[in-house]
Amino acid sequence: MAEQHTHAHAHHHSDKHTHISRGTYYRVFAALMVLMVLTVAAWWVEKNLIEMPGWLAVTIAMSIAIAKTVLIVLYFMHVKISSRMTQIYAAGAFVWLMILFVITMGDYIARGWPPQAGPLP
Amino acid sequence: MSTLSLPQTSYIHDRSRTFAEWLKSWLLTVDHKRIAILYLLSINFFFLLGGLAATLVRVELITPQGDLMSSDVYNRAFTLHGIIMVFFFLIPAIPAVLGNFLVPLMIGARDLAFPRLNLLSWYLYMIGGVFALIASVFGGVDTGWTFYTPFSSTYSNSNVVMTITGAFIMGFSSILTGLNFIVTIHKMRAPGLTWFRLPLFIWANYATSIIQILATPVLGIALLLVVVERLWGVGIYDPALGGDPLLFQHLFWFYSHPAVYIMILPAMGVISELISTFSRKRIFGYEFIAFSSLAIAILGFLVWGHHMFVSSQSVYAGLIFSFITMLVAIPSAIKVFNWTATLYKGSISYRTPMLYALGFIGLFVIGGLTGIFLGVTAIDLHVTDTYFVVAHFHYVMVGGTIMAYLGGIHFWWPKMTGRMYNEIWGSIAALIIFVGFNMTFFPQFILGYLGMPRRYHVYPPEFQVLHVMSTAGASILAIGFIVPLIYLGISLWKGAIAGNNPWGATGLEWKTSSPPPTFNFDKTPIVTEEAYAYPPEAAERDAAAWRPGSPL
Repeated sequence: MAEQHTHAHAHHHSDKHTHISRGTYYRVFAALMVLMVLTVAAWWVEKNLIEMPGWLAVTIAMSIAIAKTVLIVLYFMHVKISSRMTQIYAAGAFVWLMILFVITMGDYIARGWPPQAGPLP
Repeated sequence: MSTLSLPQTSYIHDRSRTFAEWLKSWLLTVDHKRIAILYLLSINFFFLLGGLAATLVRVELITPQGDLMSSDVYNRAFTLHGIIMVFFFLIPAIPAVLGNFLVPLMIGARDLAFPRLNLLSWYLYMIGGVFALIASVFGGVDTGWTFYTPFSSTYSNSNVVMTITGAFIMGFSSILTGLNFIVTIHKMRAPGLTWFRLPLFIWANYATSIIQILATPVLGIALLLVVVERLWGVGIYDPALGGDPLLFQHLFWFYSHPAVYIMILPAMGVISELISTFSRKRIFGYEFIAFSSLAIAILGFLVWGHHMFVSSQSVYAGLIFSFITMLVAIPSAIKVFNWTATLYKGSISYRTPMLYALGFIGLFVIGGLTGIFLGVTAIDLHVTDTYFVVAHFHYVMVGGTIMAYLGGIHFWWPKMTGRMYNEIWGSIAALIIFVGFNMTFFPQFILGYLGMPRRYHVYPPEFQVLHVMSTAGASILAIGFIVPLIYLGISLWKGAIAGNNPWGATGLEWKTSSPPPTFNFDKTPIVTEEAYAYPPEAAERDAAAWRPGSPL
């Protein structure tokens, strides 16, 4: 936009800007497809083959989902090759997400305390 | 200071020869100043609509019986008032109008970082608004602006989906504005304009942008899930389908409490500018005011459960939320004390913007302190969902945001239009608004404390006196809002030529012509001093220039 800045901009980028090659994109895409198959497979195994407790099934499903998210954020959204400022902002968003999850779940965990809560006996 | 004519070229002038060309030059503009004017017109239009809905509510409440409208229509009237005022007026008001106009000017840039995205955000705002209006034309919505589940997701027969779509689309407008501001403030500051030389309005808008970007998506998801449950019966909020109604309140207030700070933080930024300019003093405690904006933005994310004290949320969660709510008082008080300290020994001139600024401080203190009452669980249990809450948030939103919005509009009106408004009418309107506002909302504190619940149009006869007072105050308030429309309108043709810097203010926006040229500055300015660098003798000069009858 402002001319006086485009110059500084270009300079800054030529130092840091590494390109993500087409091959990397394809490899990430392949990895995402593998993870998708894994998601379906995990569901199928839980449903048909092995009895497993709910927390374990959720942990497995969430781990696969997190792996997919990390790949997309780092490569497709270019966070891996972005400036440190962008990376801080991206990480900050996840901190905020944690605040939402942790505090909300805190309510769910503590909702039954004390067990005989209620104004009247 | 006084020049005889407006500058030959400015962002308002264009070379279009036909009406169609002229219209196109405005509707497809990427100039941040023109987009700010588009926002100004559309946001004020929505403000008038929201005001009409408020009029319906206040007129109905004159008598204890429901004689103007049925309960159902009343529900739709206050919902329309809430949705329009919150989503289409208060949230975008200061960032989208004053922020859009001023952020590039204040930092010495030619435009925002993403001008086309800026135009897109105005269109998204308008599309969202059209959805909300269509929903209200076809019968309206009766859930209240909070869309609480399971009523909104299962039982309500009104236009919930259409209205939610409107709010959802408008949310993207808010996100894009925040994104634009953050990138612009990081990347496009003029040479020498370090972070601690930025005007406090910029700090405030930066903090606001962080909230807009981080909180708005959560509202979008929460509302989208209401639609999903309504249309396809997926169990998210309805216990009968395995959902949890409180989940909606968690998600909703994770946005909507910080949204209050989207409304008030830029307002505080405006007040910092006004107080400093009209006291002729550098602001007291610059760093504290700047960081208190960020502190409010961050703490604002940790207190949402204070809207849910009586909702069957865990009492332990309530305890924590109550405690953190108290913490918000600290940065808020830092600001108020610093403004007061700035006034101390300043050369105070009671021009119209300053009247709004002083009104803001008084009203915000009342609104903020009653917020502490409400943050205490024991008191909140007593006054939850009463008029006490209604009065509290109107003191913060109307007494805070609207006072600052009007103060800012008056302060930068000469910069936006190149002309001065009528100072006498300006002062009269500011006083009318202050009186009308207090008369409208102070009785509501008493009503609420005595037990008058919100959102009911039939009430025991002993409350009538206070309700009539409130409605009378609202009529005065309405006059106070109409008067500026008239004299500001007239000033566009008849107003005195303002010159570049009619207030003798510091800040880059006053260094360029009024109205500014399309690219703001002929030469990129270089900043060599702090913001608000009023020389010590500025106050003395002002005092010496005073004459009987002069407004200073």
